[in-house]
Amino acid sequence: MAAFDPIKTAIRSPRGGVSAAVLLLVMACALFAPLIAPYAYDIQNLPGSNADPSVAHWMGTDEFGRDLMSRIIYGARTSLTVAVTAISISVVAGLTLGAMAAYFGGWFDRAVTAVVDLTWSFPEILIALILIAIIGPGVGSVMVAISIAYLAQFTRLTRAQIMALKNETYVEATTNLGAGHFHIIFRHLLPNALTPVIVAGMLATGDAIILEATLGFFGLGAQPPTPSWGAMMSSGTAQIFIAPWIIIFPGLAIAITVISINLFGDALIESLDIHNHLRSV
Amino acid sequence: MRHFTKTHLLAGSMLASASLLALASTAGAQEATFVVSAQNVGTPSYNPISGTQLNDAITLIFDRMVIQDADQSFHGQLATEWESAPDGMSWTFKLRPGVTFHDGEPFNADTIVWWIPQFADTENAFMTDAIESVEVIDDLTVKFVMKNPDPNLLSNMSSGFMSIPSPKAFDELGDDFGVTAAVGSGPYKLESFTVGQETVLVANEDYAWASDLSENQGAPHIKTLTFREISEDSTAFLELSTGGVDMLYSVPTDFLPRLEAEDSVQVGTMPGTGLFYIPINTTVEPFNDIKVREAAAFAINQQEILDNLYGGVGSVANTFLIDSLLSANVDSALKISYDPDRSNAVLDEAGWAMGSDGVREKDGTRLQVALWTQNGTEFKRVTEVVQAQLKAIGIGADITVFDSATINDQYRKGTDHQLAVRSYSWANADIIDWFFSGQRLGYPNVSMWNDATAEEMNAAAMKGSRTWEERVANFTTYHEYVLSQFVFAPIYQPVQIYAYSKDAISVPETVRGTRLQSQTVVDITVN
Repeated sequence: MAAFDPIKTAIRSPRGGVSAAVLLLVMACALFAPLIAPYAYDIQNLPGSNADPSVAHWMGTDEFGRDLMSRIIYGARTSLTVAVTAISISVVAGLTLGAMAAYFGGWFDRAVTAVVDLTWSFPEILIALILIAIIGPGVGSVMVAISIAYLAQFTRLTRAQIMALKNETYVEATTNLGAGHFHIIFRHLLPNALTPVIVAGMLATGDAIILEATLGFFGLGAQPPTPSWGAMMSSGTAQIFIAPWIIIFPGLAIAITVISINLFGDALIESLDIHNHLRSV
Repeated sequence: MRHFTKTHLLAGSMLASASLLALASTAGAQEATFVVSAQNVGTPSYNPISGTQLNDAITLIFDRMVIQDADQSFHGQLATEWESAPDGMSWTFKLRPGVTFHDGEPFNADTIVWWIPQFADTENAFMTDAIESVEVIDDLTVKFVMKNPDPNLLSNMSSGFMSIPSPKAFDELGDDFGVTAAVGSGPYKLESFTVGQETVLVANEDYAWASDLSENQGAPHIKTLTFREISEDSTAFLELSTGGVDMLYSVPTDFLPRLEAEDSVQVGTMPGTGLFYIPINTTVEPFNDIKVREAAAFAINQQEILDNLYGGVGSVANTFLIDSLLSANVDSALKISYDPDRSNAVLDEAGWAMGSDGVREKDGTRLQVALWTQNGTEFKRVTEVVQAQLKAIGIGADITVFDSATINDQYRKGTDHQLAVRSYSWANADIIDWFFSGQRLGYPNVSMWNDATAEEMNAAAMKGSRTWEERVANFTTYHEYVLSQFVFAPIYQPVQIYAYSKDAISVPETVRGTRLQSQTVVDITVN
């Protein structure tokens, strides 16, 4: 299948291959957490709190005696669910908004551009914090906040793509054949503008994991006992001198996942060589 | 263009180092930085009369009539002698001569005549409720005419809420008193105050009226005293160990091993005045059913929390009062102590059957409740353990963490809260009235408890007691009834732990009073 060729090429490159393998592992953790995790994430064992890494607890235990590795495996679920869902919503909404703004132009374009430029001028973390202050903390809120925070990026990108495409001869031809607006946007323009947006979406997922961890660190994301890498690091700050592993392992989990996403994204961009492959995807 | 010659540079640098040296020596001799207890972070004001939350610096800015020592005895501060009529219907106080407020206003009988009525219509009105009027006998003698005997009067007068402000400044500043400025007669003057950040105090050089609990009868040794507010205990600890601050007013128990390992840090303990507990909102489902309240109360494993979160330092709480109070001696059958079998039995009886995911259900409704807590490591940790302990008997709890400065407003705003982890610090049985009186629904009566029998017992305890013994008996009865209705679940009684840098300051070996207040701070010297 032609559509998967660039992914195959990316995986064949050394950094693409390694990063893809790590990402698959993280995804497997998220999907099969109950099967992989050696312990339940929420069972406390207070007398065994802050235990060093050992054979029984590979990454040690946290301040409530819970197995840290199990919590990190379950934490992958929180991080990935939030980041992937939020970015997917953001990409779909951004594609739709950006395409319509570029295609229709006029006041609608100006309105969308104004709002997008306004949100674009603030850092994502600030937008997310403001939104969570309004809707309250929790996993759902964090998803909404992240998807809105990244909306501007995808809307801008799509709009720029469509702007370039809408004057192409084949679009003109389709219009002259009497095709409707939505047919043109969804059948002809968007498929051709999709690749860079999807790649940008992939890279943004890495950022979104960091944003989710940051919000979790502030106690605004998943509420206890649900594990989230950011919240685990936050509770680890209080134990940093007695049980440094509580903060180190979730930190490593975040770093490894985000670096893998970025490396794979880079490999993908390279193999896509987006200008040449744009039409074939 | 001007050029600097070598001589200029040399002279300049010598001047600079000389002035730096001068600065350093004064700074070293006279300044100190303390950190207030984490639970006092965000205290909005230094207005003792209208405030419902005051931080530890209040007793430095203001003086009180009397101070209570650790052995419960009273020592005069602005009052030198006092006497109650045999029937308890009047009290006479002799006032200390020569006391002036920071704004130069004199302290005398007129101050007291002005002061007592200020409490009317404030949340602290109960402090002076029993006082009918204040009569001037002479310039330095006043007589309180009582509506009813109040054996607790001296205890009230020793609390920070009965600190005496300068009448002139208080009237002039109105709502700004305690926020933009606070004028008292205490050993320190308020220089600046930023809510949630810091309070800067400067020594009151005229101070010459310390109580007999202090060695130093003159102006305090520390000339500039800064109180910083740090909500994260580990941040405060780091500041102390790196020399950023000189003293922590309160240290969580789990920091003890780390503090004791630091060579430069000295740790001290005092008997506790605090208690951690879970108020239960009695007006909302499912806690309007006393059986569910009973189950929640007996689900808390106090010993497990004491042993594991606090390393065995402090003691378990099985009632609403700290153990040192006589009214804490209740019928042992009424004490609330971990009993999961009892919890499970009453929940079964109430029709809540265990669900497949470990949360009970009744008629399709899950036993899933809201558990509030406030920012800060200690609160969050206790709350997470409480969450797991409730889950063990089939009550699922969702934690919401509020900022410590805004959580009380949340209680005032809505009535749909269910459970919370809270703590108080108060060494008097009337804390039961404060948190459970039907007159204070919402906040401080977070349990929203309004019960006719309790109100009668409250009236008897607060207003119907003529002697101290009678008051103790009345409060014991009231306390026992509160326990029998499961309007809260007791958790833990901390001891007070403070820590300071041995290199920076010297603190008297025995801290006098019920907590670390002005009587001790005036004796602290900078090394």
